[in-house]
Amino acid sequence: MPDTILVVVEQREGKLNRVSWETLTAGQALAAETGWTLEAAVLGSGVLNFANEIAAKRVSKVYAVESPKLEPYTPDAFAAGLKQFIESKQPKLVLMPHTYQVRDFVPKLATAMGRTAISDCIGYKKDGAKLIFTRQMFQGKLAADVSFACDAPWFVTFQNGAFRGDKVEAGVSAAPVETVNVQIADGVIRNKPQEVFKEAKQAVDLTQAEIIVSIGRGIKEQKNIELARQLADALGGELAASRPICDSGWLPMDRQIGSSGQTVAPKLYLALGISGAIQHIVGMKGSRTIIAVNKDSEAPIFEIADYAVVGNLFDIVPPLIEEVKKAKAGS
Amino acid sequence: MLIFRKPLEGIERPQMPADVVIVGGGPAGMACALRLSQLIDKHNAENPNSQLSKENIYVLEKAREIGQHCLSGALLDPRSMRELLPGFEKEAPLDAEVIKEAVYFLTEKSKLKFPITPPPLRDHGNYVISLNRFVKWLGGKVEETGITVFTGFAGSELLFDGDRVTGVRTDDKGVDKENHQKSNFEPGYDLQAKVLILAEGTRGSLTKQLITKFDLAKDRNPQTYGQGVKELWEVPSGRIAPGEVIYTMGWPLTTKEYGGAWIYGGKDNVVSLGFVIGLDYPDPRLDPQRVLQDFKQHPFVAKLLDGGKMIRYGAKSLPYGGWWAIPPVAGDGWMILGDSAGFLNSQRLKGIHLAIKSAMLAAETAFEALLKDDSSVKTLSGFQKKVESSWIKDELWKVRNFHQGFEHGFWAGMFHAGIQQFTGGRGLRNRYPGTAGYEHMEKLAELPADGGDEARLLGPAKGDGKLTFDKLTDLYHSGTKHEEDQPAHLIIHDTNICNTRCVKEYGSPCQNFCPANVYEMVDDAEQPNGKRISLNPSNCVHCKTCDIADPYQIITWVPPEGGGGPNYDGM
Amino acid sequence: MNILVCMKQVPQKDAPLKLNEAGNWIREDVSYEVNEPDAYALEEALRQKEKHGGEVVVITSGPARAQQVLREALAKGADRAIHLEDSVFVGLDALNTARAFAAAIKDEKFDLIFTGLQSDDYGYAQTGVILAELLSWPHATIIMQIEKNEGGIRVKRELEAGFFQFVDMALPAVLTIQSGINKLRYATLIGIKQAKNKPLRKVAMAEVQSAISENLQKIERLYIPQKTKKTEMIEGSAGEIAKKLVDKLRNEVRVL
Repeated sequence: MPDTILVVVEQREGKLNRVSWETLTAGQALAAETGWTLEAAVLGSGVLNFANEIAAKRVSKVYAVESPKLEPYTPDAFAAGLKQFIESKQPKLVLMPHTYQVRDFVPKLATAMGRTAISDCIGYKKDGAKLIFTRQMFQGKLAADVSFACDAPWFVTFQNGAFRGDKVEAGVSAAPVETVNVQIADGVIRNKPQEVFKEAKQAVDLTQAEIIVSIGRGIKEQKNIELARQLADALGGELAASRPICDSGWLPMDRQIGSSGQTVAPKLYLALGISGAIQHIVGMKGSRTIIAVNKDSEAPIFEIADYAVVGNLFDIVPPLIEEVKKAKAGS
Repeated sequence: MLIFRKPLEGIERPQMPADVVIVGGGPAGMACALRLSQLIDKHNAENPNSQLSKENIYVLEKAREIGQHCLSGALLDPRSMRELLPGFEKEAPLDAEVIKEAVYFLTEKSKLKFPITPPPLRDHGNYVISLNRFVKWLGGKVEETGITVFTGFAGSELLFDGDRVTGVRTDDKGVDKENHQKSNFEPGYDLQAKVLILAEGTRGSLTKQLITKFDLAKDRNPQTYGQGVKELWEVPSGRIAPGEVIYTMGWPLTTKEYGGAWIYGGKDNVVSLGFVIGLDYPDPRLDPQRVLQDFKQHPFVAKLLDGGKMIRYGAKSLPYGGWWAIPPVAGDGWMILGDSAGFLNSQRLKGIHLAIKSAMLAAETAFEALLKDDSSVKTLSGFQKKVESSWIKDELWKVRNFHQGFEHGFWAGMFHAGIQQFTGGRGLRNRYPGTAGYEHMEKLAELPADGGDEARLLGPAKGDGKLTFDKLTDLYHSGTKHEEDQPAHLIIHDTNICNTRCVKEYGSPCQNFCPANVYEMVDDAEQPNGKRISLNPSNCVHCKTCDIADPYQIITWVPPEGGGGPNYDGM
Repeated sequence: MNILVCMKQVPQKDAPLKLNEAGNWIREDVSYEVNEPDAYALEEALRQKEKHGGEVVVITSGPARAQQVLREALAKGADRAIHLEDSVFVGLDALNTARAFAAAIKDEKFDLIFTGLQSDDYGYAQTGVILAELLSWPHATIIMQIEKNEGGIRVKRELEAGFFQFVDMALPAVLTIQSGINKLRYATLIGIKQAKNKPLRKVAMAEVQSAISENLQKIERLYIPQKTKKTEMIEGSAGEIAKKLVDKLRNEVRVL
């Protein structure tokens, strides 16, 4: 049997979790490098349509792993169901996105199978025949290359944003889809989950934001924050600030980024009128893309910016808001 | 609106009785606790029927960890440690024994070596140490003896019964920016102590309360201070040997400022360097952190540090006043040790050994007080007598007029110092008067607008990010952290003075003399001069400079919530 | 309710870290502190004890320095502490750590075991879940709230994107606790004094050796992440800059 990579995607509330595409991209890349076969699976009850969605991508086979007991999600059911499935298919590598749900059951699954999971990885390397997975440690201060010291199946979870979901390759034709029924005995499921509900969050968790528009002293006055807010809204992002803005009470403390506030690593960090004092930088330097707008060409923020605009933010931001709105509306 | 820290009123506070409470876990506080423990152990061994307990002897340390707020060059004269712990060299964390000293007079581009190292600066026999590590070790020994060290607790107020000090109140925890109780509020404890020992270090806040209440400073020279700004660097190996000691004078200072730099080679290619400047300079625009950055640009320093990495930053004030500025050190229920009392030899630039010796003598006095069950001034004044008949007096007597000799500039100071050298410290008269540092500060109207000769010392450093740094970047490397939601602990008694007078008369020197960017004048159209005083209290490195140097003397530094402050790892 | 809180000592958040000679771990001469999420787990346990009575026991593994975490917990109100003392514990993976803990508590009877949601050094978020599997107990992760009820407890689980879920569970169970759910209490002077006399059981490696085995994963190399950054200047009139930025946002950053 050829070696297989199994990507287990996640579905919730009747939708495929977008981050699953990222994991599939990772799987495609690994398959290309190792020459192993790429397969995917989705767990649940009545999940055939999700399997079909995945089958449109370049993957050898997709499984709908079915059991009425897999809905709603419980760690007991998912660990039991996936264990059964993995034991029958024997993939070499099992990839999942590092979501709250995956964190909730994968360590249990791996332990039940006498294996281990390298979680929250940001990438991988090949060292000869050995696969090495890279992850951040000490809150991003250091990186670690980790390898497996046990037999397959090897469990790996990838961090949000580590791979580009939009880069997943489509298949030439739809991949074959197979429904696999798993048996979960009575008494296996112990937790009784209730309905999922949304709640107004008391505090803003900037660490979950994909896009952050952040302001510094360059905003000059409290009333100018409205401009930044409009940009954040247009982009669908969150508003944040460097310390002095929060100290002045212009924005609440939970919007503060930096050594005495939150540490974030969003897809996009737009720094407006922020000089880039080290106290602020340590809170955002892990951002995937940093765009900085500042009047001062020597502002330290430009040292870590991907795109630099030396100019007056009050001149730049209004047309930027317009262009963003146009782009979102138009196409 | 600035809201300042004050102990909450009308609340019940837990009471805790104590035999001895030592406020401050620095070298003096720890040495005192250790010595006291030794005396008690010895007594108990010899008196099985009348045991003394260590259960109710406490050390209060405001830092989260022992040693965390300790900063000094440092060079340790082992004299008192050898008395406290014979053979201590074998187990104490000492970086290196001093092998080489050199004293230089700097000009902008060159250096002139003193052909003979002046005797006070000869350091053979001394050790290069990290005071932080040393105190951590010493504190560990204290804890081993069974004396409780409460870390994360500050002494916020003295407790009195008439003229007697009856104990200390610890800080209220969980108080928000507006002085309201948070959900995790914990009131400060009232530690009712038979003997209260103040070992708070330089410009102790409780010591200041005590001195004010009992007017202890009358008949004394005012205490004068310097500020030391320090950076710890990792340099390529071979640049400087462990145990190599360098002092400099001259550039970048002019003859109007008192001070100089030190460079000590530690182990593992770590260099301790810093600049000390007397807080009696005339130009309020002078910025000591900037002076350090200037100093590093001197070719010989730049060469030393080239390719190296700055790993830590800190600052602290130090008492220069000498013998005549030391207040009475004992009274009804209290004693003052170490830098809090002013036991520092400003000529040798050393005070740790004196702090430790003073601590040992205080411990002996406290021990007697416990035995006699009398901690009134009758017994505790024994400490005063012990100090006056010890080598502390011998050493400090010889330099009793040293710093005062510099009141009129560098050359006058050198002249007086020279004479003092031959007259056992007397100089031209037995007691030179002194003036408080802030009284030397001149108004902007009296100074050249461009700063004149001092221009290079004035205003904030820009920093190149490699050899020199701006204040915020340096500050980041002090590891300073505080609970953010708490009242400001730098109490400005009249902010109108800041906004209306000081901004014009002195140009708000707090922005310059504070090494931590705590003080800032921000734009405010509603103020007569368009600016308003604003504070970043969580930047504070607890150096006490503001309390000392503010020309109007309207700033009182009190401890913030315990556990907060700098992290002087390795300093 | 008898609750065990698993706590870890980690390097201080802003401690400058240096790599060891072998390049596979950090030099241990840094300052340490309690793993912040574990402090919240302890706080929650102490609150449950205040509400429902019982005992709070804290456990940690690591060299002598790790004892500090236990002392602080005892000072805050925990009743007993267990210290698996050996520097070897530092290098164990989550599975072995969980096995060691399970072995150390085999004679104890807990209703609940709490851990923080992850550690600030490794950040795996696995130990609590693995421990539940080893003990065959139910578990739930990223818990915001715990209420006692008829069948055991009802917990509030945090999900992504502002969603939450209540889950009913029987006891005994393992919970990993979300950070920031409560204000952490301060240790008091009396608490610190009393902590000295509270039982602290030391467990040597030899006692749990048989429960653990070789790590199933290995850190090959630890290093400072190098970011090769090329800053691209965006120039022109304000309008032109806006257009160029949007172009980048659409095609490079992919947020539009």
